[in-house]
Amino acid sequence: MQLYPLKLVTVVGESIVMHDIAMQGLKLGSSGYTLAEVIGEGARSARNVSLTGEAKTMKLEFIVSMDVAEKILLHVSRDYFEHYAIIAWMSDVQVVRGQQYYPDHK
Amino acid sequence: MISATLEASCLISPVLFALSSSEELSRIIASLERNLLTPIPLCFMLGVICKLIHGGIKIPKELYLSIAIFLLMSIGFIGGHELANEYREHGIGTVWKPAIVTLFLGCVTPIICYGVLKYLGRMSIADSAGIAAHYGSTSAVTYAVANSFVEHSHHPANSFLPTLVTILECPGIAVALVIGAWLSGKEQAKKALATGVPVRESRLREALYEVITGQSIMLMAGLLVIGFIATSFLSESEGKPFDPIYEFFNTKGMIFKGALCIFLLEMGLVAGERLSDLWKVGPFLLGFGILMPLANGFLGAYFGHMAGLNLGGCTVFAAIVASASYIAAPPAVRLTLPEANPTYSITAALAITFPFNIALGIPIYYEMAKWLGAT
Repeated sequence: MQLYPLKLVTVVGESIVMHDIAMQGLKLGSSGYTLAEVIGEGARSARNVSLTGEAKTMKLEFIVSMDVAEKILLHVSRDYFEHYAIIAWMSDVQVVRGQQYYPDHK
Repeated sequence: MISATLEASCLISPVLFALSSSEELSRIIASLERNLLTPIPLCFMLGVICKLIHGGIKIPKELYLSIAIFLLMSIGFIGGHELANEYREHGIGTVWKPAIVTLFLGCVTPIICYGVLKYLGRMSIADSAGIAAHYGSTSAVTYAVANSFVEHSHHPANSFLPTLVTILECPGIAVALVIGAWLSGKEQAKKALATGVPVRESRLREALYEVITGQSIMLMAGLLVIGFIATSFLSESEGKPFDPIYEFFNTKGMIFKGALCIFLLEMGLVAGERLSDLWKVGPFLLGFGILMPLANGFLGAYFGHMAGLNLGGCTVFAAIVASASYIAAPPAVRLTLPEANPTYSITAALAITFPFNIALGIPIYYEMAKWLGAT
């Protein structure tokens, strides 16, 4: 079975901006994303503002190539780190059917 | 700090004057007892106590979200129904003055709050505007509790009060966010000139759209229109086909009162969780969370009385003007003024003002309305 080396970008933080980050990720070259409600606590948990309605904390994941991963991480750190409770990281993953994530894939 | 306290006490001097005579004081104490010993505030207190002692009460998220929807729909539907009856009997003669007063207070209270926070509390522009947005808007649950109190006191409020709740939801948030976005935009532009860092794009328009199309307004205003249409256009001969629906949504009925108790229990749990943040907000905001509702409540009772509301109506109107939003305002503030610290606004609205209003504030507004001559 062939596995494709790619990057998994994970962003965890306030639900209020997660949809925006997902949309921005698509614009920066990601072919898709996964968004899920999660439970957790961090140093800035008090910044969770939603009493009802949406989940307080969300986890957003992109599987992308290295250059797109860097663009997404740069965007998140530049536009959201100062005022929002958000953390982002990148890790190596081996993806089945991963050819679709390469720019030259038809 | 002393001058700030003095100026704050000048601001609420009419309130203190209202409470001056000992006869009125003993009447207030009797009202407080009457209010505190009803199931709705007691459920809230149970929630707070449960959180403090790490008790095991857990309200499933789906349940309290469903109850929130039911409460908003009920307030809207019954409001629309009563508005149609009022319109049928008196035209718009009795409603237009309170509606204009509501709009006026919705615009004025956030400006007063902003001034107090910025100049007495020496808070930042973003924090002042963020908190002002919460206090300029209203809390539908406080309305429901106040309405229940005046019914219990045999002075039911004017039937069109839900219409006023709907009107009061938006302008306060809008005014405070415009002030905050404009002033903090100017501040950021200065900073950008000095440092070369680009100015953040304003999200005011997006936030205002979210407030207007948010769940609270859509459900309350939508059901208000539905209740109005159903009542106005269905004749007696058709046998009131919406009677079962009226019974289901009836804000005086057992379903509404029971649902309100469960929701208040959840609110108690949430407020109890926020109590630990009280030490973070400091004494100024603690005082603000109690004195500002009293001042706003007095304005509400005074202008409500001027607009012709009855005793129950003035009380409920004072309570909604005094209340702070904790559902519609927080996401809008977070989007528009991300540099504002939500711990301040949420703790003040939810852990200070909301408990104060439902435990002590509502009976005080009732006495204020009485003192102003409302009958």
